[in-house]
Amino acid sequence: MNGEVGRPISRLLADVDGARCERKGDRRVRIDATPENLPAVLELLKGRAGYLHLSAITCIDWMDDGEFELIYHLWSYEDRNLVSAHIRIPREPGVYLSVYDLFEPAGFFERDIHEMYGVFFEGSPDQEKFILTEWNGPPPMRKDFDAEGWVQGTFQWEDYRPEWLQEIEEKGGGIAIKPEQARANTRKIRGWKQ
Amino acid sequence: MRPENYQAQSHPPSHEYELNFGPNHPGIEGNYALQVRLHGDTVVSAHADGGYLHRGFEKLMEGRLWIQNIALVPRICVPDPVPMEVCYSLAIEDISGLQVPERAKWLRVLQLELSRIAAHLFYFGGHAATTGMYSPSFWGVADRDLILDRFEELSGGRVYHIFNIPGGVRRDIPEGFLGRVSALLDYLEARLPEYDDLLFRNQVFVRRSKGVGVIDQQQALAWGVTGPNLRATGLGFDVRRDDPYLIYNQLDFEIPTEDSGCCWARTLVRRSELQQSIRICRQVIAALPDIGGPVRAPIPNPLAWNVPVGESYTRVESSKGELAYYVLSTGGEKPYRVHVRGPSAMHAVQVLEKMVTGGRLEDVAQIMFSLDACPPEVDR
Amino acid sequence: MSSDIDYKDAGSILAPLKNLRFFAREPVTEPLGPRPAAENYRGFHVNDWELCIGCSTCQKVCDNAAISMIHIPGLPNDPVKGVRDHRPAIDYGRCCWCGLCVDICPTGSISLTREYVHTCTEPELDSYFVLPDPNGMHKTHFPKGWSKTEQNDLLDHDRQPMAEMAPEARIGDFAEIVAGYTDQQALLEASRCVQCGMCHDACPTQMHAPDYIRAIWQGNVELAVEEIYRTNPFAHVCGRVCTHKCEDACSIGRRGTPVAIRWLKRYAMDALAPAKVKKIAAKGKSRKKSGRKIAIVGAGPAGMTAAFDLIKQGHAVTVFEALDQAGGMTRYGIPYYRLPSESLQRDIDIIVSLGVEMRYRTRVGVDVSMAELEQEYDAVVLALGLQLGRSTRIPGSDHVQVRAAVDLLRRIAAGESLAVPDKVVVIGGGNVAMDIARTLARLQKQQHGVVGMTVCALEDFAHFLADPEEVRESGEEGIEIIDARGPRHCVVNDDGTLGGLCTWKVLSIFDEQHRFAPKFDESDERIHEAGMVVESIGQMTDTGLLGDELTEALEWNRGRMKVDAFGRTSLPWLWAAGDCVNGPDVVHAVADGHRVATSINEYLTQEVAA
Repeated sequence: MNGEVGRPISRLLADVDGARCERKGDRRVRIDATPENLPAVLELLKGRAGYLHLSAITCIDWMDDGEFELIYHLWSYEDRNLVSAHIRIPREPGVYLSVYDLFEPAGFFERDIHEMYGVFFEGSPDQEKFILTEWNGPPPMRKDFDAEGWVQGTFQWEDYRPEWLQEIEEKGGGIAIKPEQARANTRKIRGWKQ
Repeated sequence: MRPENYQAQSHPPSHEYELNFGPNHPGIEGNYALQVRLHGDTVVSAHADGGYLHRGFEKLMEGRLWIQNIALVPRICVPDPVPMEVCYSLAIEDISGLQVPERAKWLRVLQLELSRIAAHLFYFGGHAATTGMYSPSFWGVADRDLILDRFEELSGGRVYHIFNIPGGVRRDIPEGFLGRVSALLDYLEARLPEYDDLLFRNQVFVRRSKGVGVIDQQQALAWGVTGPNLRATGLGFDVRRDDPYLIYNQLDFEIPTEDSGCCWARTLVRRSELQQSIRICRQVIAALPDIGGPVRAPIPNPLAWNVPVGESYTRVESSKGELAYYVLSTGGEKPYRVHVRGPSAMHAVQVLEKMVTGGRLEDVAQIMFSLDACPPEVDR
Repeated sequence: MSSDIDYKDAGSILAPLKNLRFFAREPVTEPLGPRPAAENYRGFHVNDWELCIGCSTCQKVCDNAAISMIHIPGLPNDPVKGVRDHRPAIDYGRCCWCGLCVDICPTGSISLTREYVHTCTEPELDSYFVLPDPNGMHKTHFPKGWSKTEQNDLLDHDRQPMAEMAPEARIGDFAEIVAGYTDQQALLEASRCVQCGMCHDACPTQMHAPDYIRAIWQGNVELAVEEIYRTNPFAHVCGRVCTHKCEDACSIGRRGTPVAIRWLKRYAMDALAPAKVKKIAAKGKSRKKSGRKIAIVGAGPAGMTAAFDLIKQGHAVTVFEALDQAGGMTRYGIPYYRLPSESLQRDIDIIVSLGVEMRYRTRVGVDVSMAELEQEYDAVVLALGLQLGRSTRIPGSDHVQVRAAVDLLRRIAAGESLAVPDKVVVIGGGNVAMDIARTLARLQKQQHGVVGMTVCALEDFAHFLADPEEVRESGEEGIEIIDARGPRHCVVNDDGTLGGLCTWKVLSIFDEQHRFAPKFDESDERIHEAGMVVESIGQMTDTGLLGDELTEALEWNRGRMKVDAFGRTSLPWLWAAGDCVNGPDVVHAVADGHRVATSINEYLTQEVAA
């Protein structure tokens, strides 16, 4: 069972145009498919190779390429192998087919991706808002949504004025570097000095 | 939805009515809501409503350094934080090819199993409370606290340990730690018969939970059920054994299963898992003194750390089921994408909606708890 | 495997009596009152202000933006030592007690304690903003919890080793000893930096070291060179022989070896093609000609840096140099094995390529007079350097085989051949003494096959002047260094040849008022046999070229020209810069060059406006 799992999959995919498969680890196989052939690939994996379990669908926003990447992670309880099938779809209009008919868990993941990235899945049973019920802004997981900027613009920093700080300020000191100026995660290259 | 945004709607006369189960309800697990439509006491349809705990972790992680995220991940699942830390670390280690020292691997397993025991104890309490019994929840919380004491000693934090970092663990165990864990395990094991008396042979609990919320193996597979919930339908699948990570393939343990797929079976599977986790912990305690060496592989300066280009889909078995992290690095100092696949993302939404439909109102809370659905995992 | 619980077994009717045993058990409830936390507990912070240097690394790693750096007047603030009067303050409304600040702290000053209780009413919210000191949050003592250990330390304390020629191989010739970093080494070394900027503050010319180190770490050498050229046109030279004040201030050096900032600069300069460096250097050059003319006397680092700045500002610059080539003491004072002249020439070429007019072999005071310069030019810079060796003036020091170190170094650099006796004694303990000793030792090896070199230093090893690595490398090359020896007289044989040097043991160098007044142990006298004695006890400026009239007109300060903070002398048209003002140091000279250039530019533009 643990042997050359990659080979049967590549044989399985031989008839599918434009699908490449590559072994990535002991129990990991990566398939690069196209939006057109992905449903066929998934159907073959489920129907003929026992990949019953859709572990997750991951969406990645490749803003600079104008594309979304969708990754379908499938697990076979028989082969004990995980296959990740990658496709890329255009960021505009960001529409793809639902795979709910094949894998029921897709319902949740597609709803989540729709909410967070704005990708619409044709045929998905429920793409109502789930987590961000009261959010009317852009889909927040898109790379062009600046969450930190939104937070800075929406909420106020607590303006503390404890006694010790007032004493230091009277002596001519005070806050020299505010946290938001020095955070490594927002720092530009010349940010080390104010 | 916030209360102030709620608007009453008038419906045509009917025998059906809607009940908002949560977000503030003793029968709901965490901050979560289930809108059920009832005809008499029978659930006609159910609609899960999340988002009360949404903190945008996946987005936050894209904006933070690799090391900074270790403080975020345990918060994704409060009752069972260790698998989150380990899974995130494993993914980064996989991408960057970091070799975790042997000792760190064993220490991680010890934490994972202690965390599993703590989560299950918590779970029994919650589940029992939904059937009207409150003693098990007090017991469960009190015994879990003893485990948190050991975590406090190990990591300096009771709930958010933040102890696993890419490369290993942050420091070695304190002096005499293994002895104290060993004593704790003896105590917990001695407590199990008392839990049996209180809960598992308690006819109130047995009759309330047996045959309720049944799910068969076919359905479970189709709905994406994992973990103890799947094992309660007779399929002995466990990531620890079937997609092994760390040193689980060197350990001797069994995968408990039950066949009936009801609330009772799900609880019983976890009850048996306690014993297996204690068994694993004992093996770690026996082996650790002979495994020397460092507890962390050298990692780059956290302020100048580019994880090489790569992706990893890493899975671990949390107390609730299959937990997976998809981590993608484009070679930068922050992750390009982190996707957390919590087991409860399935259990608390689609599975729960389907399972309570057709059931009775009094079983809704019990079914949710028996699935061990963890809302913060859904919301992230 | 299934569970073996018999759920149908409801037990006997008396089973509930079993529960009576719980009466005998301890309750599991926690006792009221404070519960002592575990030894590793991650509670409120304490910070040892004596250890803390205000580097703000904790602030950078804090993932919740909970740390503000507070400027506290009155605390030590010394850029050269790498100490800032900043201390972290923590917003407990944001802190998540992950302890990364502890793990990364370069000094180990910050720790978490076992104190964890704090609460307040809304008007007292300010109490959540805390400036941790050693006394703890509520000024009550709690033991330390999570603190720095070897295991949780996140910083790399060890420098990437620099490949060097083995002593046996290098003593035979003048090839450069240090190999320079490979790409991989440079990247790893650069990744150790925590971007605190202590190096920038300590550097005399305020180089943007954190920026170029980060650029190197990102693999962007071009950007690194750009950052370097913002402040230093002598980067090939400084990448090799800088006195690296930056590394003394480096916060990583608090508990480990400092980041090899100098070697990283060298790496960046060597890694980029000269044509590209030239392009970067020319960036920002003014297209407009100001029509002003400036004369610079001396083509050393100070003079050439001033020339670099002034030519970019659009002025016409002429440099007068007495010798054949530019570089000053960096060419004629630093041996080839430390600074190959090709590297120096790269820096010079780049500066000259911007349009500086060079007049070599033109000695001011002989070929052209200061008065002429004053007449012809709008401003004059004196960057004379220190090229006259001081003499001990001990008996016998007027012997022909008693030589000055700087003089010998200049001759060797200029390519003169020199016969070195098989035994030589050097008087002095500074870097120049090491340079001449190691240079002559190489010649001895070439001419005699063996090294016979002794260095007699006034200072003892605990207070040595030369860099430790110079001392170490000299020792490896077979040079004997004797510390705490005071020269008494040179021994001249009956036939008039030099016999050696007589020294006394030094007891102390300074008197109680810290004045130079060495005390000797006369009983401990030694004769060091030598065919040549080299004096290397300091240098001075040859101010003869100024002429009597100018010397008279200028104000002086202990033999050096008196200048203001911008390098201007007491005469409005005359500036002075470099070693002749500050004493010997390359990077200081560069800083000085910038300073006078800025001052001159201001003077000239103001003049135009007026």
